Amino acid sequence: MDFTFSEDQLLFRDSVRDFLVNEVTPERIRGIWESDSGRDDGLWQQLAEMGLTGITVAEEHGGLGMNELDFVLLAQECGYVALPEPLVNTALVAVPVISQLGGEVAAQWLPQIAAGETRVAVGCRENGLAEDAAQSGLLLWAEPEALYLLTPEQFSARFNESVDPSRRLYAVDIADGVAPVASGEQAAALYRAVLDRGALGAAAQALGLAQRMIDISVQYTGERQQFGKVIGSFQAVKHHMANVAVRLEYAKAPVTRAAYALAHAEPAEVAVSHAKLVACEAANLAAKNSIQVHGAMGYTWEVDLHIFMKKAWAMAGTFGDTGFHKQRVAEFIFADSVALGAGTTFG
Amino acid sequence: MKVLVAVKRVVDYNVKVRAKADGSDVDLNNVKMAINPFCEIAVEEAVRLKEAGVASEVVVVSVGEKSCQEQIRTALALGADRGIQVETEGAVEPLVVAKLLKGVVEKEQPQLVILGKQSIDGDNNQTGQMLGALANMAQGTFASEVKVDGDAVSVTREVDGGLQTVKLKLPAIVTTDLRLNEPRYASLPNIMKAKKKQLDVFSPADLGVEVKSHLTQLRVEPPAERQAGIKVASVDELVDKLKNEAKVI
Repeated sequence: MDFTFSEDQLLFRDSVRDFLVNEVTPERIRGIWESDSGRDDGLWQQLAEMGLTGITVAEEHGGLGMNELDFVLLAQECGYVALPEPLVNTALVAVPVISQLGGEVAAQWLPQIAAGETRVAVGCRENGLAEDAAQSGLLLWAEPEALYLLTPEQFSARFNESVDPSRRLYAVDIADGVAPVASGEQAAALYRAVLDRGALGAAAQALGLAQRMIDISVQYTGERQQFGKVIGSFQAVKHHMANVAVRLEYAKAPVTRAAYALAHAEPAEVAVSHAKLVACEAANLAAKNSIQVHGAMGYTWEVDLHIFMKKAWAMAGTFGDTGFHKQRVAEFIFADSVALGAGTTFG
Repeated sequence: MKVLVAVKRVVDYNVKVRAKADGSDVDLNNVKMAINPFCEIAVEEAVRLKEAGVASEVVVVSVGEKSCQEQIRTALALGADRGIQVETEGAVEPLVVAKLLKGVVEKEQPQLVILGKQSIDGDNNQTGQMLGALANMAQGTFASEVKVDGDAVSVTREVDGGLQTVKLKLPAIVTTDLRLNEPRYASLPNIMKAKKKQLDVFSPADLGVEVKSHLTQLRVEPPAERQAGIKVASVDELVDKLKNEAKVI
């Protein structure tokens, strides 16, 4: 069995990486933080022109019809640049959920999302807050009992500060009398889908963030000199980053596995929780060790490292924190019906 | 009007190149390759001419090993209509490339040929001019502005003294400078479409050209490391050092 990514998937990743690294610079992110809306409409338009807003939208609705496995590499690139725009939630959560709703809802919204005309925000009860709710033309709000697709006049949003200035978080109050688009068992299933998809997106971004923090730290320790040598030549410094690199490498396969499960409609809960736990652990370790090798300067506003560090912390807490995902893995392992052992690895 | 654009596969401009340990060449192992930036500007200009309704077809050509098809596909994703690879082995010097391009020009009969002014690997700045001489076509090099008007093209050139505008009768050759335009990114839908576009492969023999080398590369070594500067206390000391140590005044 060939587990490698296809040539096309890697070509897309490289193209998106070139675009994001050149266009989403730390300077631009700082500019976005200082803007009134906290968003850059020009950047969203650029993402749409690249075809990224429609990447998981079906071709019949003007998209590229790609799946979670195709997108997971691109989500890592979004993490690598700490993309402030909610592209990952759009492509990995909102579009598949609206597609599942199908019918008129899909026909109305998916072409607009693909064309970049409508931004869609995603929120759920587990998160409590919805990122970009006030900046979007559509809010997908998920609860276990009901799923809502809300236009701006159907809800009010109160701003809540995030540890990551790139994230604009809002508490949402739905107006009286607004009907959900799904309820009962359908809503429960979609709520789980929102959680799993959102967690996979956060995990993939965490991988990219960890890689970026390694790259920043390796560059810095290759330039900063002490005792007449670059500090990166000292074993104690080297090991800090080597430990992160190892942790990151081992986190990649679970993230890919989780994307595969979602792309092939397999039970994905445990795979997603595994992915979220290990990817966010790798990103947290990258943040911690990067601060160390920067000599605490990494925590300051002037050094770009904090852009990625804060995003990594935010990703760890969104769509289920560590406790939530450990609980899911524990419930799976301790269930009487669980099939464990080498013989069931690929079962 | 048909436009022919030549592109070259080179080491990506972000990569810090290193010489091989034995000094025989630049180390290309696991190095990211890309379209030469000046060639990318050439592709962009051709695509803009097509979008403006001036050009009817943009054909992109590259000379090199099979791997250069990657760069042709990138150019197709940027908006070129058709690709041609002239398959060669190993390093090919500018004169041979110019002869091969002349063969393609004779086959395709373009009205305008756009090339990058130089590639960032060899930095030769020769191919466009050699092609002009071989194909007996007018040439406007180092272009920062290109305007096609009927059967002529006006090219504003970046020269040492400022800007010079020349008017060339078509068919003509233009080589691009850095400020001609800012290339777009290839969108994902266009990358997918590019895979289905026509790409023909020719051998040098198909074009009646014999590939032979007139140059021998003796050694490749990195430039000497720059020494740290010093601070001087006064203008007098600076003048003294420039006069007596550096001996430049």
